[in-house]
Amino acid sequence: MIETIVNSLQIAVLLVCTGFAAARAVTRRSRADTFLALLYCSWALGDLYWMTCLAFFGRTPQVPLVSDLSWYASYLFLYMLLRQVSPADENTKSGLLPWLGYVFTGVMAVFYMTWGKILGNLIYAGLMGLLLFASIRRLTGGKGSRSRSCLPMAVILFCLLEYGLWTVSCFWEGSTLANPYYWFDILLTLCFPAFLLIVEKEARA
Amino acid sequence: MSYMENIYICLAAPLLMAVLCLRGNVRRTFLFLLSGMTACLLSAFVSSFLAGITGTELKDAVYEIVPAVEEFIKFSPVLFYILVFLPEKRHAISGALVVAVGFATLENVCFLTEQGTSELLRLLLRGFGTGAMHVVCGMIVATGLYFLWDQTWLRLLGTFALLCLAITFHAIFNIFAVQTGIVFWVGSSIPLVLILTGWLLLRKRISITE
Repeated sequence: MIETIVNSLQIAVLLVCTGFAAARAVTRRSRADTFLALLYCSWALGDLYWMTCLAFFGRTPQVPLVSDLSWYASYLFLYMLLRQVSPADENTKSGLLPWLGYVFTGVMAVFYMTWGKILGNLIYAGLMGLLLFASIRRLTGGKGSRSRSCLPMAVILFCLLEYGLWTVSCFWEGSTLANPYYWFDILLTLCFPAFLLIVEKEARA
Repeated sequence: MSYMENIYICLAAPLLMAVLCLRGNVRRTFLFLLSGMTACLLSAFVSSFLAGITGTELKDAVYEIVPAVEEFIKFSPVLFYILVFLPEKRHAISGALVVAVGFATLENVCFLTEQGTSELLRLLLRGFGTGAMHVVCGMIVATGLYFLWDQTWLRLLGTFALLCLAITFHAIFNIFAVQTGIVFWVGSSIPLVLILTGWLLLRKRISITE
């Protein structure tokens, strides 16, 4: 029951955010808002697919290909948004620090492989690594303005919350609010409107 | 049981003759239509094969495997056209839409031969719903092709991501399409409503710019 409530809340937040971002994309003809709307829409459809399977068949999909693809798409749209809103300075060297992103996701992928599938974990590690790499590079790379450094920080926070969510799901089970999985899920849900505010702030800057 | 390849031959033969006789834009349109039907046939074979090797029941494969296979195969003729012929944007976009129409046509004919032609209302919803769903999925990818066209990395990542979005939309539609009653009605109407809304918005937008 609690899972349904948390997922429904996430879908509702995502749909509202999709509406706002799409309206802004149309009125401003802004590419960043379009990426944001697609990110929300993709994530919402993935959640909706998961929920629809539960509602009509009483179980989650045995081959989670479709929902995985929608979440891969969301990460890609987030990466495009990051490149659009906060372009990296190609001339500035950022050292080895950004590679920590790939190291972190690689280590976590090996850990998750003991529970899940190899290929799926590798793809998630690659995409999350890309997001962390790009975000850390933007934070360490140059003298960006304060507003420009907001989105990379939000992306790092988002990735860490995702990893928190996945990790606690390995150790905790149970469908009560005492399960930290739901706390991470709610925090992740709160991250989505934050992206909307950051892109708005960037547009005004 | 229906023999899909036989139906395909009956529908594709006149189109193939037309392709051989015609020239220019009409020929290209007919080729895309034919490609869409061929993609539909191939998708049926590949989906059955994948369902077999993953041990998925056919009723579950409809929403777990089929959408991904159909959308990837449906996109392959357009991808080939883009990579080999380097067409203008508008030609690539209209190509993606016509492929989707060809795909939906063969799928609907196969549905007719399997389910019969007695229930007009269900067939109307099924016909328009499936047709609209394939067009919506085609439009999702085509709009992305238009919007994300200028840079190579955007074109690659964006098109793949939009394809994933189309797959999820297709899968949700398929879940609704296998239901009965009001759920089937609502599910089949969603792509139609989306197309009508898009058409109205586009029309309004065009009239403003004019």
